[in-house]
Amino acid sequence: MTQKRRIPRLLQFALVVFGVYFGFILVFDVLLGQLIPRSLLTMYMVFVVSGALMAFTFTEEGAHELVAPIKALVEDPSKRKLRNAVFVIVPLLAGYYTYTSMLPGFEAPVELRTIHPAPPSKFKAYGKSYNLTTLENPLRKYQKEDPVKFRELVKAGGEVYIKNCQYCHGDKLDGKGPYAVGLNPTPANFQDVGTIAQLQESFLFWRIATGGPGLPAEAAPWISSMPVWENFLTEEETWEVILFLYDYTGRQPRSWK
Amino acid sequence: MSRLVLLAFCTALFIAGTAAAKPGDADKGKEIYDKRCTWCHGAEGDGAGAAKDMLNPPPRDFTSGNYKIKTSSFEDMTPNDDDIFRMIRDGMPGTSMPGWSDVLKEQDMWNLVAYVKTFAGFDKPPATQVDFGTRISSSAESIEKGRKLYEDGDRCVECHGKSGKGSASKRLKGDAGERTWPRNLTKPWTFRGSDDPKDIFARISTGIAGTEMPSFADPKSKKKLTVEERWHVANYVASLAKTGRKVDADNTVVKADKLQGDLPNTPDDARWEKSTPTTFYLVPQLIGEERYFKPSNDTITVRALYNDKAIAMLLEWDDRTRSIPGDETAEKLADAPIAEDGVAVQLPVTIPKEMQKPYFGMGDAARPVNIWHWKSGAKDAAESINLLNSRGFKEIEKRDAVAAGLNAKASYSDGTWKVLITRPLTTSSPEKDVQFTEGKFIPVAFAAWDGSNNGEKGSKHTMTTWYWLLLKPASGYKPLVAALMVMGLFAGGLLWWVRRARNPAG
Repeated sequence: MTQKRRIPRLLQFALVVFGVYFGFILVFDVLLGQLIPRSLLTMYMVFVVSGALMAFTFTEEGAHELVAPIKALVEDPSKRKLRNAVFVIVPLLAGYYTYTSMLPGFEAPVELRTIHPAPPSKFKAYGKSYNLTTLENPLRKYQKEDPVKFRELVKAGGEVYIKNCQYCHGDKLDGKGPYAVGLNPTPANFQDVGTIAQLQESFLFWRIATGGPGLPAEAAPWISSMPVWENFLTEEETWEVILFLYDYTGRQPRSWK
Repeated sequence: MSRLVLLAFCTALFIAGTAAAKPGDADKGKEIYDKRCTWCHGAEGDGAGAAKDMLNPPPRDFTSGNYKIKTSSFEDMTPNDDDIFRMIRDGMPGTSMPGWSDVLKEQDMWNLVAYVKTFAGFDKPPATQVDFGTRISSSAESIEKGRKLYEDGDRCVECHGKSGKGSASKRLKGDAGERTWPRNLTKPWTFRGSDDPKDIFARISTGIAGTEMPSFADPKSKKKLTVEERWHVANYVASLAKTGRKVDADNTVVKADKLQGDLPNTPDDARWEKSTPTTFYLVPQLIGEERYFKPSNDTITVRALYNDKAIAMLLEWDDRTRSIPGDETAEKLADAPIAEDGVAVQLPVTIPKEMQKPYFGMGDAARPVNIWHWKSGAKDAAESINLLNSRGFKEIEKRDAVAAGLNAKASYSDGTWKVLITRPLTTSSPEKDVQFTEGKFIPVAFAAWDGSNNGEKGSKHTMTTWYWLLLKPASGYKPLVAALMVMGLFAGGLLWWVRRARNPAG
């Protein structure tokens, strides 16, 4: 049998596990700058540890070699001092971990809410009932029929916007108005492809007219800062501001057709 | 080779740091202006856009030729192209003017500069510039020199106050005759032209056109400062701006520590210093009639302590005026009529078990809220604490604050209100009052009124959305017991293993 100096198998095992662990942290937290969620990391590590265990104990000889140092620690009388130290340190570490994990946390509860809830088929505003499945912007037709009038309507919508909406949704319609920082949830960003470009004008009309309090429960109406605009804007002004939102961002409303 | 790299690096830094003026095309600038800028600044550049009456400060009137943030000398009205460019690119903190660099290309912004200048007929660059001399970097020594100059002969104190919070001692007005207030120097996020000492130096040197902020470089001024002195003052002002009352967006929880013994019974009790401050943004009330658009204050700092019997909350916010209706000094400083200053805490009557809370705007029909509303009092009325239960804006019930054990004590000093509100943890009417429980996350919201600003009163106030209040429980014995048990288990297991290893037969 040739005598080769090798790393003990137990140390190899520890190196593999810790290597993978710090590899994850290096790649995600340091290189990508995106913290890997601790729960996800724990789950990955369970797989890594069990995988490594399987690989290291594939042959009986290998398994024996892996646990040999541990067995020696328990059985070998010459390792008495080390054993005593390990037997003090291991329970202490376990106790410390239990203590810190049971201390109460002060992190705010997570609030989940649906940002674009499914609209109702009907809703009430301006003392009328609207059917959301058939509702259309009555001013949209002027885009083709009377472009001059259409420009005027867009401009009127812009004035409604700047007087009423920019405080939160911003001059640039990017959801970063001067008061946006004080709101939670934050105001919608109309420049984002995921907002008005994905919606029908009727959806916007519903959201504007009935505001935060008009949201269904899954969208947490009690924290939405969106005012109930039927209290402040006329029906016509609401349709005008919708024209403006699409015109300024260069987006097209979705249609039923 | 390394020299070349260094040279390239320095050049890059230089280009990044200063926007090198490029010739703009005014006609192309007009196209952008008409799409993006008219809403506030008006088609004629006179600041008369649709939003004019709703903005504070009002949109700049470019025809006046007054440029507040500039680096040409105080004698020269004309700004540098670079000054205008910076305002367009970076926006103006604390105003409705956003930075446009994410929407407009650099050349577009230079084209806008060229067009905007035409409103005041600026066709030549300024003849003289601010002399920055040699920058003196900040140090304890420089800051101390700056403090002396700031306070000497009330040079800056006259308007900005000793604390820098702009507590008013005189009435100021802007070029359009509007009431203006001195900058609160402890809120760097509201500095229109940034809180870099170099920018502060420029403001001190040029003054702020169209306001009562004078140039301290003007040799004719009795309060004039040398270049070196202005650097010291700039460093001092920048040091005032280092504040612990900045909003930390990640911290949404007011954490109340538990005290053994009595709670503080004054706002200035030294024990408050040890409690944890949490600062929130305040925004004007825009959801219910009558809406409010021109607030003077943007933050509130909250601390809380509790013991076995009661909870104490300390609410602190900056207000340049102590508004006491009927009081002569107070009325001299502001436009009449002034109203009382005030602050309010909103809590749900029932702490929600699930996610659903009362509507953040004064509750809703199914979920009422408690409102503790403190008011500063009038000349012939003492300060007061009021207790309201409300189910929305319209259904408000006035209740007996004394019966609920609600107490308040306030102090006002050098531009800051501190109001201490205490209440027993539990009351005799749990169906009407929130009952404070250790370790639970309790929704909490705040509101404030500056009675000397644009008629803040009633629904016209600033407010927050829902945040959290947590009475931090003492951790108790459970974690310790659990830790001891786990330690015992491990030790026992190890011993068993050793015995078995030595005596495999058992």
